[in-house]
Amino acid sequence: MADSWPTNMSDWDFLRQVFRGSRVWTGSAYLLLALTWIAGIALLALSGWFITASALAGAGFLLGLELFTPSAGIRAAAILRTLSRYGERVIGHEAVLRVLARLRARSFASISRLPVSAQRQLRSGDLQHRLTTDIDTLDAIPLRITGPIVAATLAALAATGLTLWLAPWPATALLLTTAGLTLSASLLAARVGRARGRALVEQRSRQRVALLDFFGGLADLIAYRRVDAERSRLEALEYEQATAALFQERVSLVADQAVQGMVALTTLAMLWLALHWHAHGVIDAPVAVLLTLMTLGLNEALSTLPGAFWRTGESLQAATRLRALGVDPSTTPRPRTRVSHSKVAEPPAPVSGFRVSNLAIGFAGNRPLLSGLNFLLEPGQPLVLHGGSGLGKSTLLETLAGERVPLSGSIHLTGRSITELPEPLLYRTVGYLPQETRLLDDSVARNLRLGQPELSDVMLWNALEKVDLAHALRSEGSGLDYPVGETGRRLSGGQARRMALAWLLLRATPVVLLDEPFSGLDHNTEQRILARIRPWLEARCAAIVTHAPERLPREWPRLDLTGNAR
Amino acid sequence: MLLNELLKPHRHWLYLSWSAGLGAGLATVGLAGSIAWLVHRAVFDPGATSVWPWLGLALVAVIARHALQTLRDWAGQHLAYRVRRDLRQRMLATAARIGPVHLAHRGHSGAWASRYQEQVDALAGYYARFLPTLGLALAVPLVLLAAAFTQDWIAGLLLLFSAPLIPVFMALIGMGSQQIHEMQQDQQNRLAGHFLDRIRNLDLLRRSLALDAATDEVAIATEGYRRLSMRVLRVAFLSSAVMEFFSAVAIGLVAIYVGFSLLGFLEFGPAGQMTLFSGLFVLLLAPEYFQPLRLFAQSYHDRAGAVAAAASLAPLFDERTTAAGVPARMPVIPAEFLLLLDTVSVRYDPDGPAALDSLTLQVTAGEHVAIVGPSGSGKSTLLALCAGFVSPSTGSIALADPARSFAWIGQRAHLFHGNLRDNLLLGTADNTPDDLLIGALNSAGLPVTDPTLPLGLDTPIGEGNRGLSGGQAQRVALARALLSGSRLWLLDEPTSALDPETENDLLQRVLEHARERAVTILLATHHAAVHARLDRMIRLDHGRLVADEHV
Repeated sequence: MADSWPTNMSDWDFLRQVFRGSRVWTGSAYLLLALTWIAGIALLALSGWFITASALAGAGFLLGLELFTPSAGIRAAAILRTLSRYGERVIGHEAVLRVLARLRARSFASISRLPVSAQRQLRSGDLQHRLTTDIDTLDAIPLRITGPIVAATLAALAATGLTLWLAPWPATALLLTTAGLTLSASLLAARVGRARGRALVEQRSRQRVALLDFFGGLADLIAYRRVDAERSRLEALEYEQATAALFQERVSLVADQAVQGMVALTTLAMLWLALHWHAHGVIDAPVAVLLTLMTLGLNEALSTLPGAFWRTGESLQAATRLRALGVDPSTTPRPRTRVSHSKVAEPPAPVSGFRVSNLAIGFAGNRPLLSGLNFLLEPGQPLVLHGGSGLGKSTLLETLAGERVPLSGSIHLTGRSITELPEPLLYRTVGYLPQETRLLDDSVARNLRLGQPELSDVMLWNALEKVDLAHALRSEGSGLDYPVGETGRRLSGGQARRMALAWLLLRATPVVLLDEPFSGLDHNTEQRILARIRPWLEARCAAIVTHAPERLPREWPRLDLTGNAR
Repeated sequence: MLLNELLKPHRHWLYLSWSAGLGAGLATVGLAGSIAWLVHRAVFDPGATSVWPWLGLALVAVIARHALQTLRDWAGQHLAYRVRRDLRQRMLATAARIGPVHLAHRGHSGAWASRYQEQVDALAGYYARFLPTLGLALAVPLVLLAAAFTQDWIAGLLLLFSAPLIPVFMALIGMGSQQIHEMQQDQQNRLAGHFLDRIRNLDLLRRSLALDAATDEVAIATEGYRRLSMRVLRVAFLSSAVMEFFSAVAIGLVAIYVGFSLLGFLEFGPAGQMTLFSGLFVLLLAPEYFQPLRLFAQSYHDRAGAVAAAASLAPLFDERTTAAGVPARMPVIPAEFLLLLDTVSVRYDPDGPAALDSLTLQVTAGEHVAIVGPSGSGKSTLLALCAGFVSPSTGSIALADPARSFAWIGQRAHLFHGNLRDNLLLGTADNTPDDLLIGALNSAGLPVTDPTLPLGLDTPIGEGNRGLSGGQAQRVALARALLSGSRLWLLDEPTSALDPETENDLLQRVLEHARERAVTILLATHHAAVHARLDRMIRLDHGRLVADEHV
């Protein structure tokens, strides 16, 4: 879905798509908002009419004034207004927040489906900002822009309909002019605000990155006496950002008061016209007051427009940034049809061999780091890959794991090239422990059960026993529930490494690729773990990258990569 | 309280906002009066005098009203702007003052960034809307009420009695709202943290075939956040609905009372003397009477949000913890010593255990000291103490002049967003020529021709050191230290996150360059292989010095 989406789709199309699934609900909210405003106008207009008619009747100028209908109308308008207001707020927000929650989940799904190379280029702080703040910003579109425009149009139509019926055409013309001017003023405010709104979103994101640097790199900044310079840079960023935001707010409030003032002036003009017509006997006094107060009542509907418009820039920019991630905008709830890969499906086909032929690896566009590689991984014969620092041992393992494209040559798994394997099958077959340890900010159990939620506690303890962590965790107290912390910081480097190794043991893939599996461990621990996992390793096709081959069993075949280096 | 403290220096903007709002209220009375008078005269006394003076008065009132309302909101927004800038400056100053160790105790860098941006912004509504409307919700209705009483005291009483009910109901509704606000903010932070963590670990999730499961988890988390947000909003909507209801009912009551009086159905009190002018005047004032209260109700949840944000921000500014800055130079420091610690104790929590306990230590210039001991024995604290990131609770520390500028390499070097050159220049003068930078990189074992640095010094460095491996990042940090020319290097487990091969190479380079430049090294480690290569080893246990051996 995400890939097939045309890239030239505009931000507006994107937003339309996002909110399409909730059209019934947001539509109802818009109607309720219109009803709220119309009831407010009716309340004022009817009260004015009633008072004036009463005054005339009391003075004997008007006979046979019917009292029940107007006073019931006044009460009905008062109650209707409150109910529809509350309903509009709750329904509108409920609908929009549901859509945004779905969009957030979908955005994450889109990111997770990006190609590996694209994922690695994303900055996580910026991405986090997109998933949280940017998506929050989108609520302005239905709640502050579309809704008020639709409802204000309906309210203005209702008012002009009444003037057409009750008064000569200039009254209608006057109202239409005011509505038109309001719309133009709002569009003007939007024009002023849009570019700045877009810039504001970008500024915030830049500021985020700078802040993460300041708070995260404070030790270096203090050591090199750059704190003050960095502080003034941040303060300058903040000044730029805050003054831009302040300008936006000012445009909004000035436009807001300008529209309110214009409606008040229109009210005076309507009053003058109505009194003029009254003096010439065209309309009676209660209608004259009704027209005036109705115009005054339009204020509530029209004054919301300019303030709404200038927010478009921020929402559009947020939409641009989400589109850039290839987020599929349709948020219609749909039945889940995808098959979850996380359940252990049929076990991967037995692997008889992992063959590397004439392989060259390295970075595209550069000379190969290693070339002419030929070897076969077979059960019982873990291959030890070694050689000097910087040869490209880790890059080789990454290529073998299918996460980097070979420059030339082939890698075959039981006769199939690994570049042709579908991802689920690849990862069920090849287990890869990269050099850098990665852990989720979650409990030990959840880290170990990652992708295999069905594993029993006994199996987890078993794996922890093998990597010599069980004792430490048991004596700590919380056992499998122990939270490992952000990036595993509540564990020592060696403990984190052993956790990652336990995760790999539990995956039990027929092919295992280990990059310096014992880094951060002292010699004794290393040998103890090695003895415990040796049968496991020898039962599969394994390759181990190490800088110290002498510490691994002598029976295992070795491949010195120095000869394959450029 | 933090909110008041921040207001103090900028109070005058609040006063300006209040005065403008009050002026606008008076203009409203003028406008309502002139409209009512125009109608009254047209109905009962047509053609007596010209309409223009009254129309002119109304016109002036309209202009004054909206100009003053603009000023009211302008001043409020300016107040919010100034307060937020102050607070953000204070956050940066506090971070610089307390240093990285105390900073980390108060949340990781993502949390600080989120406080700086989102939580400070959560205060805006309190200053821009809540405080201005708080004063005006009292003053403006009183002015309008007084105007209504001059015409008809029964209508005035109707308005008077309908108003106090509103705060009572709002208080009932608002009681739980602050707590829900705090929960929502907590949830918001947690959601952001969850996203960050899962995004950082996409590789791991993919290898575990757990991307779908992670997506489901994200969906559940975001759904929980939505539910909580909706609870906050429902409370806010309910309180404004209550407000709307009372104002609508009161306007309706006034209209019906005025109508029946004018019809002559009501003979008691002032009702008999009601005129069209006074009736219309009171009717026009009624919605304006409730308007400030309505604004107040709308801004009430601004207050709840701000109080919750302030409650979580206030502890950050706790004045009691402070980093020492670079320690004071002892007046008589014997020439051969670089660093003197005299029975120093450090406690992070005044009632907690000592992180360093009565430590006495002398380090001479050029010494390479390994600090060893189990996790939590005080190794990092000792380094932080020498760096001035924490200050001694008791005892004293003194540095000789050359030690007052130091280089710092932690477990994972922090590389700044920018390019490689920017990161090297951090340690030295901005106009340092490229060949010096390249030389330092070479010395650190990261030749600029490395294929992972396709653009050389211009290679961009992403957030989280993206683009460089852990070992390369540490090498950049070493190059930075070399360029800085500092005579004291404080190294906090600089190689513990590296594979043994890189560890070995990096350590070799560190020691070699340190020897060449007569740099003093304090290096915390738990690797026997590391401390064996330094000339002195001190062992800590529970903050106490248990061994000090020269090799």
